[in-house]
Amino acid sequence: MKLRVVGANLFVKLMSVYREKTTMFFTLAFPIILILVFGTIFMSQDNVNFHLAVQDLDQSKASKDSIEALEVNGKFKITRVDPAANPVQYVRDHGVTVVLVIPKGLEKSLQRRKFFNDYKASATVTYVYDPSSSSVGTKIDILNGVLAGVNQELAGIPPFIKSVKQSILARKYRFIEYFIPGIIALAVMTLSLFGTVNVNTELRQKGIIRKLSTTPITRIDWILSDILYQFILAVISTTAMLLVSYAVFAANLHINAWLPAFVLLNVFAFVGIGMILTRFAREAQSAAAAANAISFPMMFLSGSFFPIELMPGFLQTIAKMLPLYYVNEGLRAAMVFQDNLDALRNAAIIGVFASVVFILGILATKWEEGK
Amino acid sequence: MAESVISVRKLVKRYGDLVAVRGIDFDVMRGEVFSMLGPNGAGKTTTVEILECLKSKTSGEVSVLGLDIDQRVREIKKRIGVLPQDFNAFDLLTVKENIEFFGKMFSDHIPADDLIALVDLESKRDEYFKNLSGGLKQRVGVAISMVNDPDIIFLDEPTTGLDPKARREVWEVIKGLKAKGKTIILTTHYMEEAELLADTVAIISKGKIIAMGSPVELVENNAKYQIVTLQSVDEIVFETVRKIGFEPVLSDEKTSESGWSTRKMCNGY
Repeated sequence: MKLRVVGANLFVKLMSVYREKTTMFFTLAFPIILILVFGTIFMSQDNVNFHLAVQDLDQSKASKDSIEALEVNGKFKITRVDPAANPVQYVRDHGVTVVLVIPKGLEKSLQRRKFFNDYKASATVTYVYDPSSSSVGTKIDILNGVLAGVNQELAGIPPFIKSVKQSILARKYRFIEYFIPGIIALAVMTLSLFGTVNVNTELRQKGIIRKLSTTPITRIDWILSDILYQFILAVISTTAMLLVSYAVFAANLHINAWLPAFVLLNVFAFVGIGMILTRFAREAQSAAAAANAISFPMMFLSGSFFPIELMPGFLQTIAKMLPLYYVNEGLRAAMVFQDNLDALRNAAIIGVFASVVFILGILATKWEEGK
Repeated sequence: MAESVISVRKLVKRYGDLVAVRGIDFDVMRGEVFSMLGPNGAGKTTTVEILECLKSKTSGEVSVLGLDIDQRVREIKKRIGVLPQDFNAFDLLTVKENIEFFGKMFSDHIPADDLIALVDLESKRDEYFKNLSGGLKQRVGVAISMVNDPDIIFLDEPTTGLDPKARREVWEVIKGLKAKGKTIILTTHYMEEAELLADTVAIISKGKIIAMGSPVELVENNAKYQIVTLQSVDEIVFETVRKIGFEPVLSDEKTSESGWSTRKMCNGY
């Protein structure tokens, strides 16, 4: 290995990306846009406020009190529906997802239950809903919770089992703080994988690698410069993402030695995969398609955007076979939970994976053509 | 007597069932321009890529600068310069930066400015490579092939795809290298290029050398007639040559935008 040669290659790669302003912009901008878009969406979910339409057929004091109770709950922004309207048609015409229909006779039934202990007296509210909406389930669950509370109060006896929340963390974290480590892992994967595949196939197609192979440069010099180049880009991108997260969302994350360690392991793993793809995909377009085929499942299944617990069991099993999952978990362990043991466990797994694919990548890199 | 710097004996290269090079022998002497002439697919590039240590041979004996090409690859690469076919450099580096980059691949190298002067590219020194014309790019390629002050320079079809003006510019650069006493291996499929530049021409067809010697010897021993290439803006020049027995080779006339006609004429019609 010759540092002069590695340095020259590194300089050329950095100058090329610096002078290609569009590439430079999207390299940095893409993960920042992701953080801004998803951060804004999920930050507002921390104080989520659902829209709920209520049709009061009873028009009594009890029904009005019930609607007010739902508003005070804070989870709903209530719209009142004309009692004469058809709730099914209302859902279709007004783009709402649920209409809560309070039945006529609610107050009478309530009085019979409260004052005459008539346990046969009851009221049935109806949820008229649009099943194509993903938020309907959450709204109905919240409404059921509210109704359970009302029933409990009417029963007049204190609950036997009570619940209290206890976080495993000393302080409360917001969604954005769980989200950022996943986006860092995702952005570094994309940079390393596509950077390696795009640069190497382009240089091979243009014959520059062939020209280089007539000089004393070795395969190791070339690969080392590639790793350093990808690591520098990853550090720049990670720094930009963190700065935006602190500036826009006032994110509160722990920055420690694990962060560069996971970024480096991520770079090694995906540069290794990129080198293998470059060996087998002859054209730049097919190499990019192969890189897409690898990165897309990784992007959505490895827990970068949302927790894998939300996925069906078999997808969770697949997720745990993906290297990016361990980078996500490791970064969250280090930056959010400050769990060094868990970070170490994930680092060990991704480290073994990175070593294997990187060695395979070195073996797959064909330096002297036709040998 | 001139020293042999390349020795090739019974060289064979196979790709599966395809035999690209079929047992060829030749020597290249120090300071000469040795041209391999032949059509596409004749085996020229395969042969030079074996000499450049880019491809392995199937059988035969090859030494470059007295070094075995199987055993001494690293040392050979330090002492040769290569302009590959369809040469390209880094688009977003300037001419000077590209030359400096390739120079850093070697422990000893010629300063970029000296090489820029050698190929007469001072005015394009700070131009991005992507903005150069085909002829200028080839001149950068020649400069890069000289960056380690090599003992032998391989120029693989350096003028293919260039217009006549750019081709002549590259020829001038190659003549300059020849005047400096460099040993040059030049592959081409242009007869006039080999005739103009080479001391020795090996004509390769289907992986075999079918004729070898100086351009004069090859013409004397093989040509039944002569072809001249004329360039003129005036038809009278072509008429004068016609009077001494040369006829235009049909379908080979080209006229540039500035009115210069290039015409091949043959006395064998």
